[in-house]
Amino acid sequence: MTNLTNECPVCGAMLDFGSTPLIGELKDCMDCGVELEVTGIEPLTLTEAPNEEEDWGE
Amino acid sequence: MSSMRIGFYHSLIRMDEKRLIESFQSMPDVDLVFMDDRKMTFEPGRDRFDMDAVLARSISHSRNLYGLKLLESAGIPCVNSAAVTEVCGDKLKTSVALVCAGVPHPRLMAAFTPESALVAIENIGYPVVLKPIVGSWGRLIAKINDRDAAEAVLEHKAGLGHYEHSIFYVQQYVEKSGRDIRSFVVGDRCVAAVYRSGPHWKTNTALGASVCNCPVSEEISALSLDAARAVGGGVLAVDLFETADCLMVNEVNDTMEFKNSIEPTGVDIPRLVAEHVISTAEQEVACA
Repeated sequence: MTNLTNECPVCGAMLDFGSTPLIGELKDCMDCGVELEVTGIEPLTLTEAPNEEEDWGE
Repeated sequence: MSSMRIGFYHSLIRMDEKRLIESFQSMPDVDLVFMDDRKMTFEPGRDRFDMDAVLARSISHSRNLYGLKLLESAGIPCVNSAAVTEVCGDKLKTSVALVCAGVPHPRLMAAFTPESALVAIENIGYPVVLKPIVGSWGRLIAKINDRDAAEAVLEHKAGLGHYEHSIFYVQQYVEKSGRDIRSFVVGDRCVAAVYRSGPHWKTNTALGASVCNCPVSEEISALSLDAARAVGGGVLAVDLFETADCLMVNEVNDTMEFKNSIEPTGVDIPRLVAEHVISTAEQEVACA
């Protein structure tokens, strides 16, 4: 199993993914609390997740 | 045996989507095709999609709805259908469907101007709940306790801009004693239910309500299935209120969130959803 890590783009904390994530997967930074989105796998790329929009939900 | 190709129509992949993906990927003879709604383009009349069914899981109601319409126009069976998504994504359309089907539902009135909305509010009597017809997670839902609050909220809604905020949905406030019930319907079965409890009158888990198992009684199952049938059926989460007289249906949700309900209920909800999608695809293949 590949253990992937990357830095939080906001605070620089190291984030451990445990296994290869999916493109579009969400990840919370436990240090600064920002919600991140996986936008690339090779290399592993994280960006801040988009803000909630008016028609989001169930 | 040839593989079943299932389209997974998505945007952000939350834990709910991840569990669904894991369920599909654990099934033999299933090829899961990822369809990111942020990257797709469509051309009505010319699109060709090589898949046996699609499960719609976009976090955006509008992208779900239009994506489903376009996919169905290309001959792809979808869960849930565009028609069901359209009804469930609009609280007024849902209420009309429920009322017309005789499903117990809180009293509601609709109006199209702030002035007539005030008439509707005072016809029902305080307190009332004012809801946007499109929206989720408790957003922009207001409990209005008196005329001063009604006038203020109606004035603020008039300033929100989007035409949808000119459709005033006024619902009788139902005292829930701190909890409501969320049931999960997959096809023709009510597979699980949970109590959602919290100190706030809005018992959305998105707003911090806690969840525990609710045994699926015959009454809960029957009412949930009636509600699901009223909106067209599929994979649906039904929100129920318990009153002194009866259970009633508050809302029906078409892109249900279940991640907090798997452990309390002990029911593998994502697995059941995946199996339903496969079954839908197999029925279509058999009829082709």
